[in-house]
Amino acid sequence: MRIGRVIVLSLRTLARNPLRSLSMMLGVTIGIASLTAMASIGESTRQETLRQFKRMVGSYDVVNIVPGAASTRGMPSLTTVEPSLKFTDAAAIAAEIKGVRQVAEVQNAFDIDVKYREKATVSAIYGVSPNWLEMRDYFIESGEIISAEDNASLARVAVIGQDIVTGLFPDEDPLGKQVRIGNVPFLVKGVLVSRGAGPGGSSLDGIIFIPVLTASKRLFNRDFLTTITAQLDDPDRPEAVVEAISALLRERHGIVPPGEDDFTIANARANAEQIAEVGSTLGTVMTGVAVIAMIIGGTVIMSLMLIAVSERRREIGVRRAVGATRSDVMLQFLVEAATVSVLGGIAGIALGIGGATLAAMRQALPVALIWETIGIAVLVSVGIGLVFGLQPAWKAANIDPIDALRS
Amino acid sequence: MIEIEKLEKTYRRGDGTPVTALRDVSFKIEAGEFVTVRGASGSGKSSLLNIIGCLDTPTSGTYRLVGEDVSGYSDEQRSHLRCRRIGFVFQSFNLLPRTTALENVEVPALYSGERVDERKAAALLERVGLAERGGHFVSELSGGEQQRVAIARALMNDPPLLLADEPTGNLDSAAGESIMHLLTELHAEGRTIIVVTHDEATAAHAGRELLIRDGIIAMDRLQVAASAQVPR
Repeated sequence: MRIGRVIVLSLRTLARNPLRSLSMMLGVTIGIASLTAMASIGESTRQETLRQFKRMVGSYDVVNIVPGAASTRGMPSLTTVEPSLKFTDAAAIAAEIKGVRQVAEVQNAFDIDVKYREKATVSAIYGVSPNWLEMRDYFIESGEIISAEDNASLARVAVIGQDIVTGLFPDEDPLGKQVRIGNVPFLVKGVLVSRGAGPGGSSLDGIIFIPVLTASKRLFNRDFLTTITAQLDDPDRPEAVVEAISALLRERHGIVPPGEDDFTIANARANAEQIAEVGSTLGTVMTGVAVIAMIIGGTVIMSLMLIAVSERRREIGVRRAVGATRSDVMLQFLVEAATVSVLGGIAGIALGIGGATLAAMRQALPVALIWETIGIAVLVSVGIGLVFGLQPAWKAANIDPIDALRS
Repeated sequence: MIEIEKLEKTYRRGDGTPVTALRDVSFKIEAGEFVTVRGASGSGKSSLLNIIGCLDTPTSGTYRLVGEDVSGYSDEQRSHLRCRRIGFVFQSFNLLPRTTALENVEVPALYSGERVDERKAAALLERVGLAERGGHFVSELSGGEQQRVAIARALMNDPPLLLADEPTGNLDSAAGESIMHLLTELHAEGRTIIVVTHDEATAAHAGRELLIRDGIIAMDRLQVAASAQVPR
């Protein structure tokens, strides 16, 4: 018997008993819906987290070296880090480590008072080398970005974020105005494009950039760095470079194992992936729901098919009498079970994707449609039908046509 | 067409005691014959029918169908024989419920390995006088009409042998008579037909009658068939 014919036959049979067919589909539908929704929402969340993280770090092709051991938490700032990373360390990394394209220096502090005339606000102040802004994808909305000359000449110039514009210059163009950062006057040279919110939902625009040497010599009066950012030639294989930087810094800082490192190297992409994978408790629960629903669904298919086989003894007898082999009968019932399961699965996919899309839209997440998941869902539902249809099909195939026709 | 020699069929009851349903049965049926096998219930005629129809195998003896010894055939081989060589007509019609007349006629074609030919099925329905009923569900047909559908189904794969088990048993006498006329016509078209019955009036339609009693052929006679009286 040709498989196309068998499928048509199965669909006809299923259509003749819609209530039973729907009951058979239900468990599989719930299971597959749960599976699809979970995968889709998981992917949406992951994409969104990565996007937010990227907005914060700018780009993924960098490693950040911060002072202190790995156990030190939170964002580094001048008030919290030990003074172990020097400008000379940054220069040494740039000069000596292969695979590092360029190195940027950062010296930052949070909650610094900033004033313009009678208006005041607080801001994060980042003293950065000019290449850092480029490396991290900071763009200027108006005015100019910090230049190498600004840094070399210790110019008191600042590039300000949108929150600072809102706070200090609600009705004015800030370009060319003089702000006081911790009582030191700076000229506003440029305004940054907004970056929106970071992973925690807080604004990334409450920030002011100044040249790092100006920060070190004319504002903070500190000679150590809070972060050294190294851009890699090959961001997909950072391990060797990270190891080389560690070795160099240990040597320069006179650290001999088992002595603890006084710096930590963080790989931006690895961090982001790690953060994105967290928060999958919901996923685990939904996987459980999916598995249980599919087992129940399969069992329902099996029971109802067994009943159907008993009720259709005569039909089976007739089919055997007119020439169906055992395999033909077996195939018919297996395909019937697989067909009903796949129909349930397709309904589940539609339901799951619909639900996930709705959820994503409500939370303003990107809608993620994962073709792999859909493919897997279809295969899983075929599998459920075949596995749980096996016993009924076997029973049907072994009905004695003489008995069946006599009954 | 059929050569049966020293056929024996023994069953085991639930308690293990053997029961002999057929003993030393031998006869031949030539192509183109119209034969009735008559016998009371329990005479062994159902056992004989099951073996002739390749639904069952004999305990001993040989059964040749169209020159081929099929006595030892496997379940699968017998399925193929039933598909190609035998058309079944049952007492209780045995049509598939909630299925149209046309779909019922097509069923044997599903198992023949060939494309299902809907036009052929429709032509067969026309042949049995149900040209307009193809789209009707089985439940909408009268008993006589259902048996006609069953006959059309039996002809679907062009089997050389038509095997009817009490084809008029569930019909009133008028419908039964018309079914027998249809079988007579099919015989006249050259088909080999075996009708199993307990009814002498039905048996009278055939040109030859086998009487089976207590598992043996008690009588084998030619007769002037009622079919001879049916105008062609």
